[in-house]
Amino acid sequence: MQKIRLLLLLALVQVCIVPPAVAHHVLGRPSYSLSEDSNTPPSMQVETQIGKFFVTYMVFPAFPRANEPGRVNLYATRIDSGEPYAGQISFSVKDDSWFSSDEETLGTQPIDDGVFRQGFQFNKDGDYIITARFEADGEPYAIDFPLTIGDTSSSTPITVTAIIIVLFLAGINIIKRKQLLRAKIRAGQEDKHA
Amino acid sequence: MTMTHPGLPITWALGIVIAMLLTGLGVMLIRSETPRDRVIRLARLPLIGAPLQRFLQRPWLLLGLKILFVAVFLLIIAAGLYGTPIAERNFATVITWNIWWAALIISIFFLGTSWCGACPWDTLASWLVRHRLWGRSASGLSLNLKVPKVLRNLWPALLLLIILTWLELGVGITTNPKATASLALLIVVLAIVSAALYEDKAFCRFFCPVGRTVGAYSQLSMIELRPIEPDICARCDTLECYRGDDNIAPCPTHLVMGRLTQNTYCISCGNCLQSCPEQNVGWQIRSPSREAIQDARPRWDEAWFILGLLALTSFHGITMLPAWESLMTGLAQQIGDSGNLLISFSLGLGLDLAVLVALFALAVRLTQWLSGNRQGFRQIFSTFSFAALPLAFAYHLAHNLNHLVRESSDLTTLISNPLGTATQPLGMMEKHLRHLQMLISQDSLFLLQALLMVFGFWIAMRIIRHRRSGVLPGATWSLLPMVLFAVLINLFHVWLLMQPMTMRM
Repeated sequence: MQKIRLLLLLALVQVCIVPPAVAHHVLGRPSYSLSEDSNTPPSMQVETQIGKFFVTYMVFPAFPRANEPGRVNLYATRIDSGEPYAGQISFSVKDDSWFSSDEETLGTQPIDDGVFRQGFQFNKDGDYIITARFEADGEPYAIDFPLTIGDTSSSTPITVTAIIIVLFLAGINIIKRKQLLRAKIRAGQEDKHA
Repeated sequence: MTMTHPGLPITWALGIVIAMLLTGLGVMLIRSETPRDRVIRLARLPLIGAPLQRFLQRPWLLLGLKILFVAVFLLIIAAGLYGTPIAERNFATVITWNIWWAALIISIFFLGTSWCGACPWDTLASWLVRHRLWGRSASGLSLNLKVPKVLRNLWPALLLLIILTWLELGVGITTNPKATASLALLIVVLAIVSAALYEDKAFCRFFCPVGRTVGAYSQLSMIELRPIEPDICARCDTLECYRGDDNIAPCPTHLVMGRLTQNTYCISCGNCLQSCPEQNVGWQIRSPSREAIQDARPRWDEAWFILGLLALTSFHGITMLPAWESLMTGLAQQIGDSGNLLISFSLGLGLDLAVLVALFALAVRLTQWLSGNRQGFRQIFSTFSFAALPLAFAYHLAHNLNHLVRESSDLTTLISNPLGTATQPLGMMEKHLRHLQMLISQDSLFLLQALLMVFGFWIAMRIIRHRRSGVLPGATWSLLPMVLFAVLINLFHVWLLMQPMTMRM
């Protein structure tokens, strides 16, 4: 038994010290990738599905800034056949905040080499929602995508957490004080009766 | 482009199947054994035993760890809220989901429930509510209410674990630093609310999905906190471990060291280590299977938690299969789901839980029927649920090893720039390089995964064999449904490991 254990241990050590083989290809794919936008900055990509369509949405550059041009690329293909949607898509934008409902039209784009391209330029940092609308087979489609312009780091979660904790502990503190006061009164009354 | 990790090669899988066959036959037909009670008490080790025991009894050791983890936790919050939205460049998402969540499960085997002892959620809640860094405190801001009877079980933790899985895999908070930080804050709020309302550490004992997962798996840990000399505990009538003393708080989960038989509810707070006047509590190394095989007591809610854990563990693997996406797409088309496909995902999650529990219940019912036994269904269900624990743990470890080994490279860059300031998303070349830069060689990974799968199955077989004496004494062939359940689940897990797995981020 000891020998078997020793052999197993040796086998384990042997395998562990073998360095990983560095291949030129991973899973048969070349280790580089040139997309149609290879000379553009990296993009952020969102994939979704609506009705009969797969929709892929890309933003160039990955982190657009205020007063700098950017672009949305949208690909819409039929799930069943893989055929690209060939009509027009209109793009609009609104603030992604609770109290804003103002919507502004960005434009309507025809398909161009399988892609719907919509340029944009914002003058204010913030979180926005881009809505892409189109019609297919007599049915209207509307898809919302998030778009962040500039640095929108937020202290809201920390502030909300701190407020909840402070209010809750303050409430508990009041209850405890009342309990103590009641206990003191009760003890005083018991002393009187005694 | 989505990157996938290669799965376990067929030769390794065949090796696992042969080893399963041999160990299964060995346990069920040849060996009749009781697990060894032999333990190595760290306090009794020659030369280092006494100093080590003194070192472990010092409160500053745990306090130091708590401060360190709270600091890391606060950095996660800061990085999540103020750092880059690129998940793979942000400290919050990488540390939380790629490192901590994967390494935590692995740590349980070696360190038991030690994580709970230094957990930042409970530490922050205790500091804010009890107003003490360590030691016994007056009640502080807590109302010290008793937890309502309806909540004194593992159902709340199971529900939260399902919600956590839904958020993790369905909503996709693993790739969203802000959401990761917000979830961490939410759990702090829950821990604080629980500490302010209820006595002791009710959150750890009943509600925390991570703590209860650690507790369940720690039944298979190689380490435990137990009496050094059981006789001393048998004679003790002061029970400082349970009641505490003037300076040390009582056991926060109401355990009496002399009667402790399972790790599940011990949160490694070390109070008993410090308060025992006889210095009779210490860490010891043990057979990792003994507790699940014989010591742990079957309970209905724990049984459901274990089955939930098994189902959710398998579900993690299922959702990382490239085929999962097409399955969700098809389902979404059928039911008219769109956007994040959350309805389809929720249906898939519910189906996974339902199928696994139904399979187990069927195995229990068949076992009951074949044995002609009059024992209640609940008792057999609870008793044999322990067999699901090593199956879940082994697959969880094997799956997490894959993430940890393949997705943890380039940590130094991340630590030097935790907020990911001025970084760009991973380029294709970087993705490929990360794919190739593994912590250990691929063959080592496959070997470890194979050993884990065989180990889990072996323990499950021993549990089925040993636990039958409690509920189905003398049963032999009637155990076949339970054995088949274990075989089926383990083979499914091996198949999952064979599939290419989508990279987390």
